[in-house]
Amino acid sequence: MRPLDENETVAVFNKLHKFVGNNLKNIVLESQAHEGPETNPGRYCFRMQKNRVYYVSESLVKRATNVKRDKLVSLGTQIGKFTKSGKFHLTVQCLNLLAANAKHKVWLKPTSETKFLYGHSLKKDGVGRITEGIQVNNGVVVFSMSDVPLGFGDAAKSTVDYRKMDPNGIVVHHHADIGEYLRMEDDL
Amino acid sequence: MEEAQYEVDLGNLMAFDQHHQFASPPVSREEIVKETTEQATKLVQAVADALFSLPSTEDPDGPLVKLPEPTTKLPREKPMKGKLPKPRPPTQWEVFAQQKGIQKRKKEKMAYDEQTGTWKRLHGYDRVNDDNDIPIIEAKATDEPGTDPFAERRKEKKSRVDKQEGNRLKNLKNAQKAGALPSHIQLAATALPITGTQSQPKRVSKDVLQNVAGMAATATASGGKFDKKLPGEKPLKHEKKYRKYLPAVEGSGMGTIEKQQTESVLNRLMSKHSHQILNVEKAVNMHNAKKEKNQRRQGGQSSNSGKFKANKKSFKKTSKKGPSSSKGKSK
Repeated sequence: MRPLDENETVAVFNKLHKFVGNNLKNIVLESQAHEGPETNPGRYCFRMQKNRVYYVSESLVKRATNVKRDKLVSLGTQIGKFTKSGKFHLTVQCLNLLAANAKHKVWLKPTSETKFLYGHSLKKDGVGRITEGIQVNNGVVVFSMSDVPLGFGDAAKSTVDYRKMDPNGIVVHHHADIGEYLRMEDDL
Repeated sequence: MEEAQYEVDLGNLMAFDQHHQFASPPVSREEIVKETTEQATKLVQAVADALFSLPSTEDPDGPLVKLPEPTTKLPREKPMKGKLPKPRPPTQWEVFAQQKGIQKRKKEKMAYDEQTGTWKRLHGYDRVNDDNDIPIIEAKATDEPGTDPFAERRKEKKSRVDKQEGNRLKNLKNAQKAGALPSHIQLAATALPITGTQSQPKRVSKDVLQNVAGMAATATASGGKFDKKLPGEKPLKHEKKYRKYLPAVEGSGMGTIEKQQTESVLNRLMSKHSHQILNVEKAVNMHNAKKEKNQRRQGGQSSNSGKFKANKKSFKKTSKKGPSSSKGKSK
């Protein structure tokens, strides 16, 4: 387990900023961690273990140093992985964090929920509601109509273009969804 | 100024006029330039003439000429004193091969072993045609009963090896006579029977010693990393860690350096996207809508002067209505 170095921090923050925008400040600086035996709430920090980045509270980090380095599997919430060539990808486990701070949201109709959960990209006729002001390649969090976060992805069209689109076009490129907990149990 | 032969050195593409004198001491810079340019054209002409007199071969780009060796002696590029390696005389095998016209052939990786019927490597462990692998040697008519053919083979091999060792020493002796011994052998030359008893071994120079010391130091299985160092020897260049990371936990959680790093990265990111904080069009629309509502309430008294039009310039932190943000605040 080690903290991220400067380039890695830049990569992680850039990716997160795509989805949460200025709420990144909340995530990094101002979130209070009430977990742990200390009475004063600590902060959250990012730690890297075996190319996976975790979002952990400080008190948990301190206690995790008791575990041997090669026996430590995971700590806190995993938010993503670094690939072998140094690129950073967000994984589905950070969905709750993103959903709480998302800037751009898309709500799905119940009929197309299953399609998205199987890993397909989102088509226009599956979309129920969509927030204003989305530009192309913004990060988007996908919710069901009952406000349950289902996953996240990249916006293929801006909100303006979305209205003019034909119903079979792709609106959101799929990145991760909660169906992965069942489909890709081993990879997570 | 003699018009006669200039000295032309075609190897260096140079022409030299040894009899040139200035007719009168030149007064101005332009005179010097003029006179020298005239002389230079004559010399270049001489070089060109000489070039065209050489036998030329045809080439797609034009006639090609091979220049002769340069005749002017230029100063040495590299220093003398034994630093230049001398050309080594050919070894006995090389002489023989040249005589017979034997070409060097690339070694194959594997060779087929008749004994076991498999492919094996040529030298080393588990090699092709190993002497120890032969189970049966058939007796020839010329063999006397009572002689051990295996022992015979071993003796023959030993004699071949000794002969080769002798040849190797002879080659080294020849090289030493020409002064072209490789450095590690030169150092050991006092022990080997090459120099003979008469001549004293030369004092080896510092660079030869450095070469050999380097070779000897790294000639262990781990490249000399774990050997005990003599007193006075310099330590290894690399300390243990090749890359330093921040400590995982400092005090009770994040250390100050880590906090600073995350904050600075965050600030940089925020300032890069600060132009997006205020969605100007949205702010303007909201303002106009509010204005209209007020007007309608007041019965249409005020004119259109209060309305603002959206300006397409980018505002960095100016805000018309305090902390207005583009995050869909409902009014």
